[in-house]
Amino acid sequence: MAESEEEVDVLVQRVVKDITNAFKKNPNIDEIGVIPCPEARYNRSPIVLVENKLGVESWCVKFLLPYVHNKLLLHRQRKHWLDREALADITCTLLLLNPDFTTAWNVRKELLQCGALSPEKDLYLGKLALTKFPKSPETWIHRRWVLQQILRQFSAAGRGRKHQHQQPDAERSQRPSEHLARTLHQEMKVCSDAACRYPSNYNAWSHRIWVLQHMANGNVKVFHDELSSMRFWVSMHVSDHSGFHYRQFLLKELITEISQTPASTTTTSSPQHQCSTVPSSSPPPHPDHDQANGELSGAEAAGEEEKQLGPTTVLQLFHQEVELCSDLIQSFPGHETLWSHRRHVYYLWHHWRGEHQQHCGSNGGGEPDRLNNGDPGLLKACAPSPASEGGAAGESVNGQRHVGDAMEVDGASLPNPRDSKRLKRGVLPPSTPALPAEHSFVSGILDSCSNPEQRRFALAYRKWLDTVIGHQP
Amino acid sequence: MQLDKHADYIAAYGSKKDDYEYTLSEYLRMSGIYWGLTVMDLMGQLPRMNRQEIIDFIKACQHECGGLSASIGHDPHLLYTLSAVQILCLYDNVDALDVDKVVEYIKGLQQENGSFAGDKWGEIDTRFSFCAVATLALLGKMDSINVDKAVEFVLSCMNFDGGFGCRPGSESHAGQIYCCSGFLSLTGQLHQVNADLLGWWLCERQLPSGGLNGRPEKLPDVCYSWWVLASLKIIGRIHWIDKAKLRSFILACQDEETGGFADRPGDMVDPFHTLFGIAGLSLLGDEQIKPVNPVLCMPEDVLQRRDLQPDLLS
Repeated sequence: MAESEEEVDVLVQRVVKDITNAFKKNPNIDEIGVIPCPEARYNRSPIVLVENKLGVESWCVKFLLPYVHNKLLLHRQRKHWLDREALADITCTLLLLNPDFTTAWNVRKELLQCGALSPEKDLYLGKLALTKFPKSPETWIHRRWVLQQILRQFSAAGRGRKHQHQQPDAERSQRPSEHLARTLHQEMKVCSDAACRYPSNYNAWSHRIWVLQHMANGNVKVFHDELSSMRFWVSMHVSDHSGFHYRQFLLKELITEISQTPASTTTTSSPQHQCSTVPSSSPPPHPDHDQANGELSGAEAAGEEEKQLGPTTVLQLFHQEVELCSDLIQSFPGHETLWSHRRHVYYLWHHWRGEHQQHCGSNGGGEPDRLNNGDPGLLKACAPSPASEGGAAGESVNGQRHVGDAMEVDGASLPNPRDSKRLKRGVLPPSTPALPAEHSFVSGILDSCSNPEQRRFALAYRKWLDTVIGHQP
Repeated sequence: MQLDKHADYIAAYGSKKDDYEYTLSEYLRMSGIYWGLTVMDLMGQLPRMNRQEIIDFIKACQHECGGLSASIGHDPHLLYTLSAVQILCLYDNVDALDVDKVVEYIKGLQQENGSFAGDKWGEIDTRFSFCAVATLALLGKMDSINVDKAVEFVLSCMNFDGGFGCRPGSESHAGQIYCCSGFLSLTGQLHQVNADLLGWWLCERQLPSGGLNGRPEKLPDVCYSWWVLASLKIIGRIHWIDKAKLRSFILACQDEETGGFADRPGDMVDPFHTLFGIAGLSLLGDEQIKPVNPVLCMPEDVLQRRDLQPDLLS
């Protein structure tokens, strides 16, 4: 079936049109793919639309791609004119076949900037591309750019609202944050789908983190909900290092937010947060909640929860995470990811404890009342102390300096006189991962498990505890 | 090992590629050319490639803003700007470019927090920090950016395990670690790395097969044999790897019929994995291959010509 240049031209134009029409006919297309089909039959279109799946017969792809690819480049070099609609259609076809073609995404950015395309269209196109190419770096990169445009729109809208003459309409003021919440949710879903399609999908998970950093910064409720909703997923994907890293990220952010100043809210109190942070990660809030307060109501609710959050919650978070990790390690022997997760969680715990001793110390009388409601072991561990752990204030866990922190409350005799005061405070509840508990966990695994991989990882963890945590500089 | 076969594979690559495959990868063509030429040079076979055609191609890829694109008509980007400069260094013809414009382009991509965007659209990634300083180092123009700020940003991407991710808070990844180690080498800041901690993370990438992966529980891949091995070399811990086992893994990734290397034994070969297989073997001390520089992944003699000797920890 030899094709002349004109024949190819006609064929391709038809195919591009068929694709465009397919989207017009069915705005709910949710997956794309190539249908193995070595030869064209009966002059039928190679574009197949069945329910919500869009397929391209494989025979035409080898004509289609080079043709639309070169056409776009000719346009880019000003050698061939294409109107906006044609550009949109051609780039759509191209990106469904080859979503790493950066320049095609850039053409769409320009169309977006001049209003010929809506951001939602590109989020949709990207979502489709990811069903077939779940890692595609350029698709994720373009997605972040589009989301930034959307966020900018919200900020602008927010500033505009302040100058409205009429009374702030509850419905109107809640619309942007509802839209934002929906967008956030959609991103979580897109990330989740892509993570399911490709194991340990670095790009999907790092995008997920980016979204939270930019659209839910400081929002404890969102982080908390994400942590809860991910429990099941990671239990079903125990080799997914990126999935577990996401939990480490969430934990760290939660701990940072909760530990900063327990008595004040840290979510959406600042004006810039009002528009760029969603009040809740669950579907848009019920109307009766949002009477006069619009986008602030969710934040207030989160704030109220926050007032009760504090060291007890942090302890609970650690306890739950360690419990999850231990369960999985025992249920699924020989998974490096799970042991790696344990290291991260232990490190966060170790670092938080170091900071928290200091925090307790500086808060004297205010703290104990609240702590009395919590774990009695915690109270003992955090009696006000005149000394404070040097160098840990406000530090992130980034950086190697904290690796050398002294051990605390582990029964060993230590040269530092401050540490003997800590020893007097008594023992932390058994569920919290103190160093001896970790060592006995390792011993327990070694005693009961013959899986060679599991033993290897258990020994490596023990070595890590001794070298990295126990190390004195 | 079959160096001749690999050279034949690379020399013929592109001429036999059918339209479709070639078009698919055109968006990274400049990097593809860099991979092919570098591996040929490492094998002493660079003269087999078409020098003038390639230099003309590169000239046609420099845009008004100074940046270079992957191919003619594509948009400029830091990734391809670096690849282009690397190629021109191999050919000792850097003045084929408007160097000042390149420097201006890179300078314009540095953000307030010291990070670098990949292009005018603003994506931030530590890979781009590496591209920026590597390009400037090759051009001898490092002082045109705010190096201190750039360092500050990269260090903010260091994780508790000693590794680096693409942005602050991101998961450690061997590719990003290579970029950040290379960056810190070029900016004279290797002392900021926790070499023991990072070295440990890196040597835990070695699997029973001898191959290296990029993160826990991922499959081994010849390209990680480069990212991980080069990083270890940069931080002075290359002896923490079982070299013999790694060498036999890399060799197993060769295709003895077609030439070239694949990501792992039995898979399809490509120029990308061919470069990193050969470069990895060079780092491991194979004397049939020219010494490769672990920071820039270019022959050492080319860098000597540019008077560039990036720091390595010992």
